[in-house]
Amino acid sequence: MLYREAGQFKTSYGSDQAIFPIRQDQIGIALLLLVAVLGVPALAGEYWLETIFVPFLVFSLAAIGLNLLTGYCGQLSLGTGGFMACGAFFAYKLTTAFPELHVLVVFLLAGVGSAAVGVFFGIPSLRIKGFYLAVATLAAQFFLVWMFNKFDWWTNYSPSGVISAPPREVLPGIFLTGTEATPITKYLFLLGLVAVLALVAKNLTRGAIGRSWMAIRDMDIAAEIIGIRPLWAKLSAFAISSFFIGIAGALWAFVYTGSVEALAFQIDRSFQVLFMVIIGGLGSILGSFLGAAFIVLLPILLNNVPAAIGLQMSVEMVSHLEFMIFGALIIFFLIVEPHGLARLWQIGKEKLRLWPFPY
Amino acid sequence: MEPAMEPATAALEAESQETPAPKRLGETLLSVDDISLSFGGVNALSNISFEIREHEILAIIGPNGAGKSSMLNVINGFYQPQKGRVSFKGTTFRRMRPHVAAKMGIARTFQNIALFKGMSTLDNLMTGRLLKMKRNFLWQALYYGPAQKEEVAHREAVERIIDFLEIQAIRKTPVGRLPYGLQKRVELGRALAMEPDLLLLDEPMAGMNVEEKEDMCRFILDVNDEFGTTIALIEHDMGVVMDISDRVVVLDYGRKLADGSPDEVRGNPDVIDAYLGVSH
Repeated sequence: MLYREAGQFKTSYGSDQAIFPIRQDQIGIALLLLVAVLGVPALAGEYWLETIFVPFLVFSLAAIGLNLLTGYCGQLSLGTGGFMACGAFFAYKLTTAFPELHVLVVFLLAGVGSAAVGVFFGIPSLRIKGFYLAVATLAAQFFLVWMFNKFDWWTNYSPSGVISAPPREVLPGIFLTGTEATPITKYLFLLGLVAVLALVAKNLTRGAIGRSWMAIRDMDIAAEIIGIRPLWAKLSAFAISSFFIGIAGALWAFVYTGSVEALAFQIDRSFQVLFMVIIGGLGSILGSFLGAAFIVLLPILLNNVPAAIGLQMSVEMVSHLEFMIFGALIIFFLIVEPHGLARLWQIGKEKLRLWPFPY
Repeated sequence: MEPAMEPATAALEAESQETPAPKRLGETLLSVDDISLSFGGVNALSNISFEIREHEILAIIGPNGAGKSSMLNVINGFYQPQKGRVSFKGTTFRRMRPHVAAKMGIARTFQNIALFKGMSTLDNLMTGRLLKMKRNFLWQALYYGPAQKEEVAHREAVERIIDFLEIQAIRKTPVGRLPYGLQKRVELGRALAMEPDLLLLDEPMAGMNVEEKEDMCRFILDVNDEFGTTIALIEHDMGVVMDISDRVVVLDYGRKLADGSPDEVRGNPDVIDAYLGVSH
């Protein structure tokens, strides 16, 4: 009843192809952005911004990147951590070599560098599919982390092997990285960047290139008959996916943690992002955000529940329970809705069209 | 079998009957020359030659395993024949490639439906127009200006096909949820969206009931008539084949048995023996 598109007529194909064709959605997303820009910085404390919203946004971007590759183009990849490391270390080398370069440019260039690496490690996808490809991308994961760990050049010969983001301004006088950066700056910068990149991802997926990816995913033989070249479709998916993931890695190192070592991007990270994509919903940009929220928020929530309901438990007990409940919830969600949270949201919206009336 | 006409198209038909336009049979559009294809020891095709002329409907018939689908696969480059050549629009190919075939204007449908199941009908048809979309991915990322104009222009072309095939109601339904007959129709639509010069249909009416077959026949004849598209189709329903095709090529065990008008083929003793059975 509340969510009905009755009476909203589309008079042009352009308006029918809009991202949010229904007015309720337009209002909803406007409100959401308003809350995100004004409400969250005003209400959330520094702790919340730093430990919840910043990692949520960084992970959302990584999940979008992987979703383009796995969800839209159907190429299973376990190299996410490696590509994130690429972004982080490329950005570090760039910004230490050219300190005058604006930090945004550094992030974008790091993304472009990761895209090139992604294309290289995507070449096996031309011959192998599915789980076999996943194993091949593992090579990227292990090789890249090993390389960044092994060669001191990447860390500018830091003895600990850790890179620390040097202080950089996003606007004159406003630091994004380094010790002077405030959580609000970080949050707003991330919000803007992730929102723009999410829009870019959405546009790509609803345009010609996205359709060629989905065609390869759904039926590669028929895609070839239509004139799609699997080479270009798959490698462009690897490139653009790695671009997003690389930027996410750079943001992780520079904005979220501030200092990072190559071992932070090990296989666990790849799985973490893959779970976000699977739980959020393969082939959905919204799902990437939902999945990132689920994986980032749930452990924090589970951690705080025992204290909140007054249960006295040891710290180890809490952390073990957290793992168990977390795993059980993942299985539960996958059984209830294999297409992820995004599909649940879709079903919810369908129900809302009639609610509270039976029909 | 006369395809059932709905009022609107019946009127069209009446109009075209007033001026019985001569069938615009033109030059040779595609010729296959001495094609041999074998898988290991199995000879799927041996020394097959025939040609397809512009604007005609050519039926390829033959018992199961005769090599009909292999022939189509050779034409659009899925299989590489060991011997022989394919010429299309005056260009001769030793090795045809699927994307080259698509670019030159060969579209096809499959015996087992090969749609993009996760995508809507609209997206499936839009995918058919990918080769005609020129904007690069940076424009697409912006989805603004030329890129959006291009999307809308192609959407209009796709909507004309949707109207033509009468699938307006399922425009936004994911094709995986559609019934079989409609999926076949969407697949035809995707091939039409490519605006092909040569349309290869692999058993477009398999598994359909009479009404669906009649609809499909009507669409095939209309495509041929209105757009002048040349059509090569594989079909088992003899009634359909004899009714709609201009010429028939008969294959059996990878060899060509006969090639000619439906009446000639029907009278050919070899065909009667091999295909329809030696019962008289």
